[in-house]
Amino acid sequence: MISLSDIPARPSAWITLPMIVLAILLLATPWLLPAVGLYQYLGIEIAIWVAFALGFNLLFGYTGLHSFGHGAYLGIGAYAFGLFQQHVAVSLWGGLLAAVLAAGIAGALVGAFLSHRRGIYYALLTIGFGQIFWFLAMKLHRVTGGEDGLLGIPRPPLTLGPWQVALTDNRALFYFAAALLMIVVVLCWRLANSPFGRVLQAIRQNETRARVVGYEVWRFKWAVFTLSTMLAGLAGSLLAMAQQSAYPDVMSLHQSGLVVMMVLVGGGLVSFWGPLLGVVFYFVARDVLGGLTETWLLWYGLIFMAMVMLRPEGLAGMLHGLARRNPPLKTTAAPAPATEAA
Amino acid sequence: MIDLLPHIINGLTLGLLFALIALGFTLIVGVMEVINLAHGSLFAIGAYFALTVIGGGWFAGTPFGAWWLSLPLGLRYVLALAIGPALAGLAGMLLELCLRATYGKPPLYGLLLTFGAALVIEELIRLVWGTGEQNLALPQAINGAFLLNDMIFSTYRFFAAGFSIAAILAVWLFLERTSAGAVIKAGAHDSEMVRALGYDLARLRLLVFGFGAALAGLAGVVMVPIWGLRPHVGVDIVIPAFLIIVIGGVGSFWGAVIAALLVGLAMGITGAYAAAWATMSMYLLLIAVLGFRSRGLLGRKSALEN
Repeated sequence: MISLSDIPARPSAWITLPMIVLAILLLATPWLLPAVGLYQYLGIEIAIWVAFALGFNLLFGYTGLHSFGHGAYLGIGAYAFGLFQQHVAVSLWGGLLAAVLAAGIAGALVGAFLSHRRGIYYALLTIGFGQIFWFLAMKLHRVTGGEDGLLGIPRPPLTLGPWQVALTDNRALFYFAAALLMIVVVLCWRLANSPFGRVLQAIRQNETRARVVGYEVWRFKWAVFTLSTMLAGLAGSLLAMAQQSAYPDVMSLHQSGLVVMMVLVGGGLVSFWGPLLGVVFYFVARDVLGGLTETWLLWYGLIFMAMVMLRPEGLAGMLHGLARRNPPLKTTAAPAPATEAA
Repeated sequence: MIDLLPHIINGLTLGLLFALIALGFTLIVGVMEVINLAHGSLFAIGAYFALTVIGGGWFAGTPFGAWWLSLPLGLRYVLALAIGPALAGLAGMLLELCLRATYGKPPLYGLLLTFGAALVIEELIRLVWGTGEQNLALPQAINGAFLLNDMIFSTYRFFAAGFSIAAILAVWLFLERTSAGAVIKAGAHDSEMVRALGYDLARLRLLVFGFGAALAGLAGVVMVPIWGLRPHVGVDIVIPAFLIIVIGGVGSFWGAVIAALLVGLAMGITGAYAAAWATMSMYLLLIAVLGFRSRGLLGRKSALEN
């Protein structure tokens, strides 16, 4: 099986060809969506979840740390954004900052507890903490509105110096979300292909060896967890704006599992772009299968099970496999680290 | 001052039920090193089939159904106690066949596959039994309440707790005192050696998974009158089950039983003072225990840490 480190990267590049393609696609999305019979809001949803999933994959795909409670930080971001608008000031930048900080602080605290754990204990503790946050969101009625959620969150206008743009229209909000997404993409790419990113991949391949080589492994595990929760918080603030409300729903185990499923189906284990493929596949499956049958989740679940069994490297892995099969015979020996990774 | 004794007793009976749920879970983790996130869904399968056996379900309107419902409730209940777990066991075996694709890979894949299975089973339940809350009819003999020292207790809770104790002892005796149990434990310890001695490891795993799933189904039939039955009951129940496994130490039989009693006690006592926060107490217990013992109360080092 191929893995993330097998795919050649150009570490020096800030902007790569796929990013340019993505940017053009995002610019064109408001025209493309109606053309294929879809609606503007879908674009916002996809942008939010891609940002969330890319941050999540730094942890999941690159570092090999399996968080099953990441929905919690998405939710914390959404609540923090909403509470900031309602109790502090109606301000876009303030809300975004509050969301990123709140999710980041929660993530830093949880991460400090998690980072000395390995394997299944790590995964199980993330579920435990995720459930605690979900439970708090359900029970702290006065702050979060309990099961009804936090309602009536405004979409504050975007202010850039003297400029002011209203984001009440879904198309305007989409462009804002897309712009933030592009920043997240560049940031994640740079990080994944930096020395820091290499250490993360070393931890995935063999944590003990990374430690013996001299890295203080837990600091890296802590840093990447915190970072991914901050990005989740950012995505959460966009979600709060998109829905104009925040619900405990996104913090449930189900929703946390959803992002794991998206990333795996897309191929986050083998490709930087895997999460994007997975998110798009999920939403297209939801709208296409959902249009055909009430029980679309059953079919999506079966597709997911088949993927885990037959193609754990996901859509991106299948694409890479196709690309590898086509070029003329070239005896490519498996790269050395891959053989030891097993 | 609240009189704590009834809450402690209720907590302990709840703990015994949790132990019953965790029993199959810990068996599967111990032998197969698979964290079966679909365990709660197998619990739900057992309970939903019991519902159909007791209440008739889809065949209630047929002539056969009319005859069936004329049978005494006690008999139908006993049949449900057998058929529900048996069908859950079959479902578990089917799941094990799917899991074979993940053997030899990191434990994550087993976790993911069973997570997908949980989603699929939940949707299937919605499709077959509908989305509403349901109730299991109980025979007169185990229904109702009784007085003990001026305190009212639910008869069913005590029946279920007694049932759990019997099941825990039976599983323990099976593992410790039979040769099949010895092979299962050896399989958990050193699968290479077991294979070399001529045991069919694939069949062993199939049977263990089926047995663990049947225990989940049994827990479903017994627990659901207390816990309630709804399509997402699987997710509701798998959380306490796996918290108990982690608190007790992954793969430890008695660790799971002790942890289950602790969780039940914590919930019972929290329930006395702040009922809404009872569920929270088990997460706090998890963090408290893992803060001091990273492998849980009685856990040992295992492949699941890699």
